Amino acid sequence: MKRYDVIVVGAGPAGLSAAIEAAKRGLKVIVFDENVKPGGQLFKQIHKFFGSKEHKAKIRGFKIGEDLLNEAEAAGVEVVLNAAVVGLYLDKEVVVQLNGEVNHFKGDAIIVATGASENMITFDGWTLPGVIGAGAAQTMMNLHHIRPGKKVLMLGTGNVGLVVSYQLMQSGCEVVALVDAAPRIGGYGVHAAKVARCGVPYYLSHTIIKAHGSDYVTGVTIGQVDANWNIVPGSEKEFEVDTICLAVGLSPMSQLLKMAGCDMAENPAKGGYVPTCNSYGETSIPGLFVAGDVSGIEEASSAMIEGRIAGVAAAHRLGFIDALELEEKSQELERALLSLREGMFSPENKGKEVKKTEEGYLVSSNLLTKGYLTAEEVLTYPGVTQSSGIHPVIECSQNIPCNPCQDACVKKCITIGEKITSLPVVDETASCTGCGMCVAACSGQSIFLVNEDVEDGTTAVTIPYEFLPLPEKGTKGIALDRSGAEICQAEIVEIKNVRAFDRTSLLTMKVPLEMGMKARFFKCVQEV
Amino acid sequence: MKNNADVIIIGSGVIGNAAAYYLAKKGCSVIVLEKSESIGDGGSSRNGGGVRQSGRDKRELPLAMYGIKNIWPTLSEELEMDVEYYQEGNLRLGKTDAHLNVLTGLTKNAVDCGLDVKMITGDEARAICPYLSEEVTGASWCPTDGHANPLLTTLAYYRKARQLGVQFITGEGVVEIRKIRGKAKQVVTENGVYEGETIILAAGYESRELASQLGIDIPMTQALLEVLVTEAQPPMFYQMLGTAAADFYGHQSTHGSFVFGGSSGFEGVNKDNGTPTTSSITAPCICRGIMKYFPILEDAKIVRTWAGWMDVCADMVPVISPVEEVPGLILAAAFSGHGFGISPTVGMLLAEMATEGKTTLDLSAFRYDRFKAKI
Amino acid sequence: MSKINDRSRDLGDYIPGADDEMIICRCEEITKGEIRRAVHDGMFTLTEIRRYLRTSMGLCQGQTCGRLIKGIVAKELGISPLDLEPAMSRAPMRPIEMKVLANER
Repeated sequence: MKRYDVIVVGAGPAGLSAAIEAAKRGLKVIVFDENVKPGGQLFKQIHKFFGSKEHKAKIRGFKIGEDLLNEAEAAGVEVVLNAAVVGLYLDKEVVVQLNGEVNHFKGDAIIVATGASENMITFDGWTLPGVIGAGAAQTMMNLHHIRPGKKVLMLGTGNVGLVVSYQLMQSGCEVVALVDAAPRIGGYGVHAAKVARCGVPYYLSHTIIKAHGSDYVTGVTIGQVDANWNIVPGSEKEFEVDTICLAVGLSPMSQLLKMAGCDMAENPAKGGYVPTCNSYGETSIPGLFVAGDVSGIEEASSAMIEGRIAGVAAAHRLGFIDALELEEKSQELERALLSLREGMFSPENKGKEVKKTEEGYLVSSNLLTKGYLTAEEVLTYPGVTQSSGIHPVIECSQNIPCNPCQDACVKKCITIGEKITSLPVVDETASCTGCGMCVAACSGQSIFLVNEDVEDGTTAVTIPYEFLPLPEKGTKGIALDRSGAEICQAEIVEIKNVRAFDRTSLLTMKVPLEMGMKARFFKCVQEV
Repeated sequence: MKNNADVIIIGSGVIGNAAAYYLAKKGCSVIVLEKSESIGDGGSSRNGGGVRQSGRDKRELPLAMYGIKNIWPTLSEELEMDVEYYQEGNLRLGKTDAHLNVLTGLTKNAVDCGLDVKMITGDEARAICPYLSEEVTGASWCPTDGHANPLLTTLAYYRKARQLGVQFITGEGVVEIRKIRGKAKQVVTENGVYEGETIILAAGYESRELASQLGIDIPMTQALLEVLVTEAQPPMFYQMLGTAAADFYGHQSTHGSFVFGGSSGFEGVNKDNGTPTTSSITAPCICRGIMKYFPILEDAKIVRTWAGWMDVCADMVPVISPVEEVPGLILAAAFSGHGFGISPTVGMLLAEMATEGKTTLDLSAFRYDRFKAKI
Repeated sequence: MSKINDRSRDLGDYIPGADDEMIICRCEEITKGEIRRAVHDGMFTLTEIRRYLRTSMGLCQGQTCGRLIKGIVAKELGISPLDLEPAMSRAPMRPIEMKVLANER
């Protein structure tokens, strides 16, 4: 039987990271993945990641995937694709379906990083073709280049629902509404805002009553829910759509661990049925580790760190490193993990309404229910100044783990500080050159450059723009405000797209002077 | 919740549930105690579903024949639930002369006991089941044999008994059966004490430990067997199948899936982790066995494998017996892997034993005190 | 003793629901009403429901419906879904052709 020091199941962010750390320490490592391509969900993630440098912030997910694969190859990790694991048997035996055969492998340590699967909810018509998971929509668009539909309604306003809604629009779909049964938007405000400013309405405290259609989805009816989750009579609204996306959470794919006989527990904080494990991800079966979503739903950034911890711990269990090295490395990784788990969206705050930021700023209820800050609210946050001349306006109002804007500004206009969840503060006295690096660096697309020209009676507003085709210089169109409402005429005066922006284009549009703090998106007239 | 009843049954397998049903039908009050959280979680839900007479030990044959004649044909109606009973015959297949010799011997024994079974040629077997490979050179054929769904049969008895007022308690592992003034009367669990005039011990392998506390040994051991299930196939055939070489056994279910049991040759020494775990080598071995007889199934997808312990009695037939030296105690265990087919009969007989003291069929071959040293 | 152990526990009458016809287990086409009725028939654990109705026994092995069924059963029993242990996970983790499983290396 073929034997490896470590067998990793799943070539996603957690699995690859685990494999890399183990292989770097001299272990013979093989990774199995049932998919045709490695990377798990990473290659579907076309947006820029949050976090700080150590979390690969402002790098797009697929690029992180490429980097991980290169790192794995350099470390000597063997990645085997099209390899569905049949089962995890006694004595750490992994049986794998491979090229029309089943192959038996033994691992001195096993790291299971099988990720998660999408939850479904039921409503009249939920089994109709056209009702799909948001993750499935993302796979269709970003891996297979198939547009899932033309008109889409999204159920769920967690980060998945928000990010996928935006990507649906990028792929040319019309998103008619974002719906959530909860009374508040679940994901990051900045993600919500970039969807809202495109004109997509939010329906909070609403749910899907019925999907229409006999052979496939032709429409959907939603309705408001009361405190007891009953539909409020008369609140029904109908939309004509061909696709309904469900972004209602993920469940750990932990079946392999249950089969192996690990101690398991239902843990709502971790999103479902997960193995009980120690801080290294080691389960009740010595030498069997877990990392990533399979051990508790989070996101790719934390999955990568958990994977690295498991990889280091496996190296220690097999005697490749001593306790001191394990301690040092795992503490460093643990710190990185903790910094991601701070702020308003920390696991402890799950489901709670946080009314004030750590700094004491009020959290906007408009942002949480409509998806955008009002023009008045924007002014209350430390990233927004009204200095003369070109300057950044950072519409970042929640404590989320992210700080690339701080490093993006060579003039040190922007400060976040030690704690990466702190709100960015703009220093009015520092001199902004209008380079636009902060605009492109902001993964939440919430930084704008504003330059009022009082004499001319206009304001130049620079916005991050990730749609194709790009408008040309001189294109006339309409400026939209944060809610997506059309507010005034606008003309594109500059388009910047340099390598350092990593495919985020910076559009500068000229709007009437008084619209400078309102106009946040540009719509080409031709499109209307 | 009551703690006493006419009869306390330990074990809610198909035997315990059937006994509970027939007792309730006679008007007895019954409490069934089950150690597992789920009803029928042992061998009752982990067997091939055979309702066979052929290939059976001749001591068991009267029980099997009685059930197939009197109980199985109307069981679904009686329990008001489809137990998926098919009486489409049993083919025991052979490919070599040695196989045919084995089959001929078994057939002769069965005929001597009055069973309608005969040897047929490979072509005759293919006429009955056209999907058999050309490798099959002969078979024994028993047209009155069949199969049923063990999961549903176990739950149907439970459901009906429950409707008749039988009290089932799961997660209630029995620690001890206690004699009170010379009579088995109390059943002590981790949570409490139950009392009954009669106690039926039908807890599979675990019956051995409980009986031994009362000085009674049921000489048996355990073997871990495995079964695999395919995705639903178009309806093909409904015979019960087995082979002379014991490569596999099984049938197609109402749902369309095939359920095939088999072995790797390491049963009895297989390792486990305290639960009935599948091994990595058994299912592939069963597949290879099946494909030699049914090449048409090579593309069928396996969706599930599972394992279950069989309690193996020293002489391969069960203990179904009152224990006169411990009045009030009845044993029903050690079914040795062929208890399902005779479970309705055994349930009925246990109910008779507990209420009338005498039984419709002679059970002396299954007495607890039959085990004697060889010399 | 947990609430699923006493199988004589009174669950009240089975009250038909407006959405009883809704399919929950897509692979085996089992409806919400069938699952609810199974609970009233005495099937109190997910393992029993599965053996009784074949829920979660199809191609997806419960990956999609497991969570949904758990919610329905828990509600019918008046308990928290957390008190219901998921049914066993069994190999193969993905459906596999007999000829492939037979072909060991």
